[in-house]
Amino acid sequence: MSGVQLPANLSEETVREISETRDEPEWLLEARLDALESLETLELPDVIQTPGRRWTNLDALDFESLVDPLDQADETERASDEGVEVLTFAEAIDAHPERVESAFGSTIDPEENYLTALSAALFTTGTVVYVPEGVDAEDVTIRAEMNSRSLFSHTLVVTEKSSSVTILESIESGESVDSDARYFSNLVEIDAGENSYVQYGSLQDLEEDTYSYSLKRADVGTYATVNWIEGNLGSRLTRSDVESELNGDSAETKIVGAFFGHSDQHFDVNARVWHNAENTTADLVTRGVLDEEARSVYEGVQDVGRDAWNTSSYQRENTLMLSDDSEADASPKLIIQNHDTEASHSATVGQVDQEDLFYMVSRSVPPQQARNMLVEGFFVPVLEEIEVDEFREDLEELIAARLR
Amino acid sequence: MSSEQDHLKDTDTEARFDFKKEESSAFQTEKGLTEETVRVISEDKDEPEWMLNRRLRALKQFQKMPMPTDWPGQPDLSEVDVAEIVPYIRPDVDVRAGVDDWTELPDEIKDTFDKLGIPEAEKNALSGVGAQYESEVVYQNMQERWEEKGVIFMNMDKAVQEHPEIVKEHFMTKCVPPSDNKFAALHGAVWSGGSFVYVPEDVTVEMPVQAYFRMNSEGMGQFEHTLIVAEDGAEVHYIEGCSAPKYSAFNLHSGGVEVFVGEDAHVQYSTVQNWSKNTYNLNTKRALVEADGRMEWISGSMGSKATMLYPSTVLKGPRASDNHITIAFAGDGQNIDTGAKVYHNAPDTKSTIESKSISKDGGRTNYRGLVHIADGATDSSTSVECDALMFDNESTSDTMPYMEINESKVDVAHEATVGKIGDEDVFYLQSRGLDDDDAKQMIVSGFIEPITEELPIEYAVELNRLVELEMEGSLG
Repeated sequence: MSGVQLPANLSEETVREISETRDEPEWLLEARLDALESLETLELPDVIQTPGRRWTNLDALDFESLVDPLDQADETERASDEGVEVLTFAEAIDAHPERVESAFGSTIDPEENYLTALSAALFTTGTVVYVPEGVDAEDVTIRAEMNSRSLFSHTLVVTEKSSSVTILESIESGESVDSDARYFSNLVEIDAGENSYVQYGSLQDLEEDTYSYSLKRADVGTYATVNWIEGNLGSRLTRSDVESELNGDSAETKIVGAFFGHSDQHFDVNARVWHNAENTTADLVTRGVLDEEARSVYEGVQDVGRDAWNTSSYQRENTLMLSDDSEADASPKLIIQNHDTEASHSATVGQVDQEDLFYMVSRSVPPQQARNMLVEGFFVPVLEEIEVDEFREDLEELIAARLR
Repeated sequence: MSSEQDHLKDTDTEARFDFKKEESSAFQTEKGLTEETVRVISEDKDEPEWMLNRRLRALKQFQKMPMPTDWPGQPDLSEVDVAEIVPYIRPDVDVRAGVDDWTELPDEIKDTFDKLGIPEAEKNALSGVGAQYESEVVYQNMQERWEEKGVIFMNMDKAVQEHPEIVKEHFMTKCVPPSDNKFAALHGAVWSGGSFVYVPEDVTVEMPVQAYFRMNSEGMGQFEHTLIVAEDGAEVHYIEGCSAPKYSAFNLHSGGVEVFVGEDAHVQYSTVQNWSKNTYNLNTKRALVEADGRMEWISGSMGSKATMLYPSTVLKGPRASDNHITIAFAGDGQNIDTGAKVYHNAPDTKSTIESKSISKDGGRTNYRGLVHIADGATDSSTSVECDALMFDNESTSDTMPYMEINESKVDVAHEATVGKIGDEDVFYLQSRGLDDDDAKQMIVSGFIEPITEELPIEYAVELNRLVELEMEGSLG
């Protein structure tokens, strides 16, 4: 592709080497090589552009210095619950070769864009969560530390009929490396079987020299529910896409997002849902706070297909600006092709309510503390959605730490 | 409805818009667009050198720019081949400067406007009227009392000759430069006709002025230019109406509207667009608003095959405000892509955008809007509300708002809802003795009520009538 620099030493040999050291089956090597080849023609993910303003400049990513395919290191702790299999990608390939082969790339086409293809060609870490029929599992945690200049991860979640699982995934920076910029890429695919339930929480708190790209997508089956919680606090620039395809009748999804930017952080967060079947429901809730020179970009898409009879779809986005130098762009979109739909969306941008502040100050709370309490309160609707206590506490702590 | 509106009631609405006249013209350019065409148009109009140069510059710009094709969900413009368009037709009447008495017009042109009810409306409710037939304004008149106060209302071609200093300063310079978009560039090269309105300081024009645009020939393009200059403290309401009969070949309408709102001035610009369903309606409309000024855009889009229209307002001075009210109605085969653009470039500026759209029988409506709040535009507020109503499952309705906020001390809210006609509402009305069609029509009228109540009564009546017409026999 034009305009994007290929990473140094990115070649067929490198990809073969990654695959060989991990003793991967032929199909995965082929998938990696296909993805590598497609880099030539693929474009970067779409970003919104209006006259005179490009909302996120991904072209500026300098892959040459960011990515070193053969130097990837991570330390990942995985905790499992009874009856559910939580395996590293490599273990899963040995234990369930066919299941992994059929799930890999089934919801996210590796050749969707330049960054997904790069990720598929080079990933060295990842997790497979398999929940058998009827199993109810809680508190699956995947806590990862990134210990190299660049890291590519791929996660698969497969839930069988009438099972349920709550998953918490977190990524933070481990030991520091000798480099002034790093790159983290994460693809997550969820295949939610009939009448299954998944809550997938994700917390990103990388060092602020890191560029991060994540695409998370769920294929939600009949009567199934997939709830996403996406927390972004770290990184220099984050591009995050969280998406649900409601492919089965009566499928449901919730996409809950929270971000808190400071310094010159840039968050490009996106929530999208496709209603492809009857009686489906979606609820998109995003709340973000911007301090100092932070900048946020939000796109929400509710796409109601021709056959999505009796759809309910709601979207809310609220941004709180704490500083005069912060910037917020928002675009909540509705694309409706079935009239039997109840849909709404809203977006607001504003400051801490002066009356609220005044009330608290009059109750002798110092102004700074009052403001901080109001910011913490602003995130409550998001925190309430989180079912994993550990995750809620982590997020609360990170928010509190960021308050001035 | 008061008795003054009886003439509207009496007219068979369908016949009012859908009749065609034999094409007859005194002068017609060749199809397509070359430097030669532009020179011929300019020469036929006896234009000064500077205007020709501006046209030629715009033409170069047009040739340079690519067709816009990469907007998400935009109307298909592949059929719009500028080489197939006749950009300039001067009707066969001796009215180069337009007449000020309807009786001086040739019968077939007068008959056209009679059917549209324009002369009647002029008598009753308007300060001034202009009427454009093909590329030229054929009628222009304004009540004397406004002329005495220094208000100018004349056709744009005449204004180039008679008020070159004002036109030279404002025509496609600061407001809509030809480089704005491909169709603005095309417009700049081949524009013809349109209105020039100038309201001096502190003059309030109490009754609206109106222009009516009619395309009668097959395969023609109409490129009228409207320039409104309201000096400090002035107030004016401008209304435009558009229609064309239906032909098998496509027509192109690409108008340009520039509005300059002075300090503490107030301009309202209302449009009821009912182009035939083979017309591509690609307009550029923009207003620059100084301190304390107020701009209001009110538009109803019923006609056209595809419309791409986003009236925009630049709030330049502190406390300037903007109000957008749009309604779009897309039936079979129509793609109405409209919205609003507001730039808040000064503190304490305010904008409200209210958009209503109705789609049925496979029609497609799209709200596409941008609100930009610049750094330093403190204490600005904006609210955007989009509601969409869908009749059936062949129709599509999209909402794509964009908000860019570079300032923290602001209040920004966007809201949208999409729904179908409520079965319960229909049931209730039926239980009160209305039949199904009437009940639905009544619900739609209620839905667009916030818009119609902003319009002068004649237009409200016409809009309601158009909606009724759109809905007739199509519900079930």
